[in-house]
Amino acid sequence: MNKIIMDNSMGQNTAVPALAIRDLDFWYGENHALKSISLDFPTRQVTGMIGPSGCGKSTLLRCLNRMYDLYPGQRATGEVVFDGRNILAPGLDVNVLRSRIGMVFQKPTPFPMSIYDNIAFGVRLHERLPRADMDQRVESVLRRVALWPEVKDRLNASAAALSGGQQQRLCIARTIATRPEIILLDEPTSALDPISTARIEELLDELKQEFSIAIVTHNLQQAARCADRVAFFYMGELVEVDTADRMFTAPHAKRTQDYITGRFG
Amino acid sequence: MPHESVHTVQSYEQELEQLRSFINRMGGVVERQVAQAITAVVEHDEVAARDAPEMDPYVDELERETEALVIRLLALRAPMAGDLREVVVALKISGDLERIGDCAASIARRAMRNELLSCPISLTGLRSMGRLVQENLRRTIDAMDQRDPELARIVWQSDTAVDELYVSMFRELVTYMMEDPRNIGPCTHLLFIAKNLERIGDHATNISERVYYAVTGNTLPIVRPRGGTFD
Repeated sequence: MNKIIMDNSMGQNTAVPALAIRDLDFWYGENHALKSISLDFPTRQVTGMIGPSGCGKSTLLRCLNRMYDLYPGQRATGEVVFDGRNILAPGLDVNVLRSRIGMVFQKPTPFPMSIYDNIAFGVRLHERLPRADMDQRVESVLRRVALWPEVKDRLNASAAALSGGQQQRLCIARTIATRPEIILLDEPTSALDPISTARIEELLDELKQEFSIAIVTHNLQQAARCADRVAFFYMGELVEVDTADRMFTAPHAKRTQDYITGRFG
Repeated sequence: MPHESVHTVQSYEQELEQLRSFINRMGGVVERQVAQAITAVVEHDEVAARDAPEMDPYVDELERETEALVIRLLALRAPMAGDLREVVVALKISGDLERIGDCAASIARRAMRNELLSCPISLTGLRSMGRLVQENLRRTIDAMDQRDPELARIVWQSDTAVDELYVSMFRELVTYMMEDPRNIGPCTHLLFIAKNLERIGDHATNISERVYYAVTGNTLPIVRPRGGTFD
């Protein structure tokens, strides 16, 4: 079992992408879901992925931390280069990988335990921290996601008692608690009301100072608001990638134009 | 400026269609205003001189309706990409068209002044300038109507000739004024008329620039070719 060197300094040079996909193909059994994708995720930027349902954007996200490993019959070829290594290669410790590339899902997925333990649980898998240090870690990530004032007096209460928006912020706190370099978000606000959504978006803006972020969203306005760069996928192909500014004012490809202006279903 | 493909949401498509129709109607009206203003001056046509300013309130009303529709579209439809460009550009174009209407009205109001009617100065320069400006305006409106960026770029470049004519008229009129102070009255009016024609040309090039941007997503160079200098 090869270990990835635990080094959080991804290099200060933003020209080096945090993650680089090269000629990635993906199959669900016979179904060719991603076709020869090459895409960079720049360091400390938000990369948005948009496209109609079934276009492959969530599949792509699931390749980036080997989530597909959990299912038989799913396979990927090509390269996903992270920290100088192809993470699709066999023999990689996926648990370490997933602590370095964290993921947040569409529906908040708090563990059935206390607010405190939701965060401590993941940290304990990778680090042995004295109680005081753990307390400090929990507080700092809860502050980071602006949840601290709302939960500081009930850290031992069940996470299930939190509202949907609070649960989602807790899940983000849990993700950053293991100090990943990359955060993957799969439609993180589609189940949230506008205020909770705005808070998550504000949080992304703040988190990108430190993390590289990939977000899949169906909400084009959200991609426009949050992402530095936006990639448009259609039927398993990457049609176009450009700055959010360019994509939403003057995209090159007709398919991009048609999709984001609402001209096809 | 119609698109090749239509929106999934039909009411959105209808609103964009309505926006296009406001702009086209404004374009048609100001084109007529400009034609009448020029006829009024060069033919001493009393009816044309009266009609051109009378269309102003109609143009103003169309501009207001365009503004209201654009704000509504931005708020409720949140247009993107080509639609966003078209909507924002429609707002800017309506402003330019309204200004063209004002310039035409201002020309027409001077047309029947006694100083001009009895003016011994030849109107040949003004006549050719008027023809050129009218032609450029017509082609601008065609480019807008047909979403033709190439035509827009050509019109944008051809305003140079209008500038040149304006500068040479300016020199000519100043010379007349220096020759005989009795020419100052009519020549001042002619200068204002020429200046208004030159402005109409400028607004037409603004519109061409915007059509080019709306259709292609790219901007024409900031510095437009210019003709004639006062140096």
